[in-house]
Amino acid sequence: MTGNSKLRLRGGRVYDPASGVNGVVQDVCICDGKIAADVAGGRTIDATGMVVFPGGVDVHTHVAGAALNFARAMIPEDHRRHQQFARTLNTRGGIGGSTPTTFITGYLYAGLGYTTVNEAAMPILSARHTHEELRDTPIVDKSTCVLMANHEILLDLIEAGELERARHLVAWNIWAAKAYGVKAVNPGGVAAWKWGKDAKALHDPVAGFDKATPAKIIKTLADIVDGLGLPHPIHLHCNNLGAPGNYTTTLETMRLLEGNRAHMAHLQYHSYGGDDWFTMRSESARIADYFNTHPNLTADAGAVLFGDTVTITADGPWQHLLFKLTGRKWGNIDVENETGCGVVPYVYKERNLVNAVQWAVGLELLLLIDDPWRVYLTTDHPNGAAFWRYPEIIRLLMDADFRKEQLKKLPAKALSRITLPELTREYTLFEIAIITSAGPARALGLPNKGTLRVGADADIAVFNESKDAFAMFSYPRYVIKAGEVVIEEGEIRKSVDGKGLLVRPQYDESIDDFIRPKFQQYYTMAFDNYPVELERIEHPDLRPCQTPN
Amino acid sequence: MGGKVTCTLGEVKNRADLIVYWGGNPAECHPRHFTKYALMPKGRFVPNGRKDRTMVLVDIRETPSAKAADIFLQVRPGKDFELITVLRAMIKDQPVDAALAADTGLSMEQIREFVDLMKKARFGVFFFGMGLSMTRGKHMNSAALLTLAAELNAFTKFVAMPMRGHGNVTGGDVIMRWTTGYPFGVNLARGYPRFNPGEFSTIDLLLRGDADAALVLGADPGATMPQPCIDHMARIPTIVLDPKVTHTSRIARVHITTAVTGISAPGTAYRMDEIPLPLRPPLKSPYPTDEEVVRRIYEAVRKKPPLPVHAMPKLAAV
Repeated sequence: MTGNSKLRLRGGRVYDPASGVNGVVQDVCICDGKIAADVAGGRTIDATGMVVFPGGVDVHTHVAGAALNFARAMIPEDHRRHQQFARTLNTRGGIGGSTPTTFITGYLYAGLGYTTVNEAAMPILSARHTHEELRDTPIVDKSTCVLMANHEILLDLIEAGELERARHLVAWNIWAAKAYGVKAVNPGGVAAWKWGKDAKALHDPVAGFDKATPAKIIKTLADIVDGLGLPHPIHLHCNNLGAPGNYTTTLETMRLLEGNRAHMAHLQYHSYGGDDWFTMRSESARIADYFNTHPNLTADAGAVLFGDTVTITADGPWQHLLFKLTGRKWGNIDVENETGCGVVPYVYKERNLVNAVQWAVGLELLLLIDDPWRVYLTTDHPNGAAFWRYPEIIRLLMDADFRKEQLKKLPAKALSRITLPELTREYTLFEIAIITSAGPARALGLPNKGTLRVGADADIAVFNESKDAFAMFSYPRYVIKAGEVVIEEGEIRKSVDGKGLLVRPQYDESIDDFIRPKFQQYYTMAFDNYPVELERIEHPDLRPCQTPN
Repeated sequence: MGGKVTCTLGEVKNRADLIVYWGGNPAECHPRHFTKYALMPKGRFVPNGRKDRTMVLVDIRETPSAKAADIFLQVRPGKDFELITVLRAMIKDQPVDAALAADTGLSMEQIREFVDLMKKARFGVFFFGMGLSMTRGKHMNSAALLTLAAELNAFTKFVAMPMRGHGNVTGGDVIMRWTTGYPFGVNLARGYPRFNPGEFSTIDLLLRGDADAALVLGADPGATMPQPCIDHMARIPTIVLDPKVTHTSRIARVHITTAVTGISAPGTAYRMDEIPLPLRPPLKSPYPTDEEVVRRIYEAVRKKPPLPVHAMPKLAAV
């Protein structure tokens, strides 16, 4: 797990935004898996002419669990079209593509210089499965967010106004699932989908309830997460994902959250104007305007790249719509009392007006939000594109001329619907280090990640300095995980295990007595089989919560 | 069309008011299915249990499950695909040739009533068994029924689920998918997974005599596979890990007795709806677990000089 070897990276150009180090040539020393002030003896790597970043942190991705594994089964044609990975003496074989197999997921993330990932959607009922997959995902450290916004026992408590008990219930579920944070997906909408309906208006009661509205669910969960002092704020997938005109819902949701911390997931999918598919346009400017003045919020881009992928979300009603639009395959799993999930393979096409707008919106948000500490690079993998395509986005962000070239490929009609052509901002390496590592680490509440300060985890990516950002970020020269050199000269030399990050928020133990009878009534599993045992987590790293207020 | 519109069993328990079993005999093959999940339990939105639900059985003969059904529809053998196609047309109010409909063995009136029942259900579910998936048409039958379930969602809530059995076969599927990307029929001979049912499935490999050794775990193919497959297993070194003597162990070169999973060995089993359940063994066994044996074989194999493998392709190519 932790390297006991000593290591010195000599003479690299270091970008460590969390310590304010911006491209300074200096040594980075490692001892016992941590960054050290100095080290005597041990191996020295000559990093002259190279750029040293803290290891990447992905704040929102879907790499493990029942939904992703369902998708794997649905798209054998995608597996065959994409890259196959033969086993080596150090690595296992597997499949790349839109839904890489677990081992390949770890190798591919490490192959981009990423060392920590947050699996953003885990049902409690199948948390055991998610953790089994994460055990088989090497190199990276892993955290998970548990799906709570359509949990029917919680909705009952909101309906009855029993908010204190709701807090204990949420805390109990986080620990039962061995999760790190709380995810809210289309609050109320997935519960409504169990009747084939959706929740489109924030203040209308959810189907099957009289008082519980999406707004109440969002506010209650945000209060609970803040009250429990979880390191990561509520991880929110707003209502009306993907729908033209949904920016009003997004703005309304952000207004609800004044006074709370919140992370707005894949904001790209929530920043559209227009009334229908024919009039859809970008409203990223309005979203960014609001966002820029509200420091309680963070977001990830959820950017889209053109090409084949598969969309996977707990947002069941949206996936039914997407199935009706595409007429292609449709997978759906409703999870009793908790959530749902939909899987639809999808192709983003340059010549398609809607897709062109989506592509632009993701980039616009990254360029229009002033503070890189609050907006992070993601593609909502695999929804917008597979994570291994991040270097393409980095190039688009760093090179305005290249963006202009790409804009020429879009339909002329799209250009009047977007603001991207007017944006000339270019990201610096310092800013790229923020949106890929330092920022998401801060949002996740992981002070030892995303930084190279003394005492931090020795998770480091070393790139060849190059004008070609795509090539530079596609093939890190060295990747170091917990002090071990896992990638050298672009090759995996060693595969190490990652940690499982989790929290144990405080709750009243007597909540068991409340949950047990409800559970026996509504579920089909024995209550005692529901919580995941701590022994099931490989290398658990229990992160502290702040003192509850 | 492809994919699957499904749910976990608790959704059926809490919501389903129309239960359709198709080509299966749960009364005898999944005896707890009625009482635990599908028919009898009182659910959150079906508070009166059985009284709130309608059960339809579609099969070629009147099995003991028919006694539990409100409506039994006897389809002519081999005509499941045709019946499903007629249903798909009729739910969309498209014209159907009466002769084609009659060919399914059901009257137009029966079919119309069934369509009505499905469209009026609040939450409908198809549970389909090997009588559908392993008879003439095979996977095309399953695909047709899954498509019908998906299309019914234009009118109401509808899902479908295969009635899987044979112990933890679902768990095998699930793990194959996360490690190789494919559920079964995977060939790893090139160092990476290739999938081709009909070429790389166990029966095909044994039938062609491609396999020069076999490791059999938690299964008894000697009892169920075609005779030429069994003959080939007897020819090659076959190793069986099983707590008891089986048809396969009798023809195997080596039989290692292992602890019974769930009784004296821990682990995880996946339900037919892919929900994992922990297994807590109440007893101890003098025998090693399957996992322990496989691990020891693996460690011994690892000590041998490695076979040449292909070079790792470059990472992160687009």
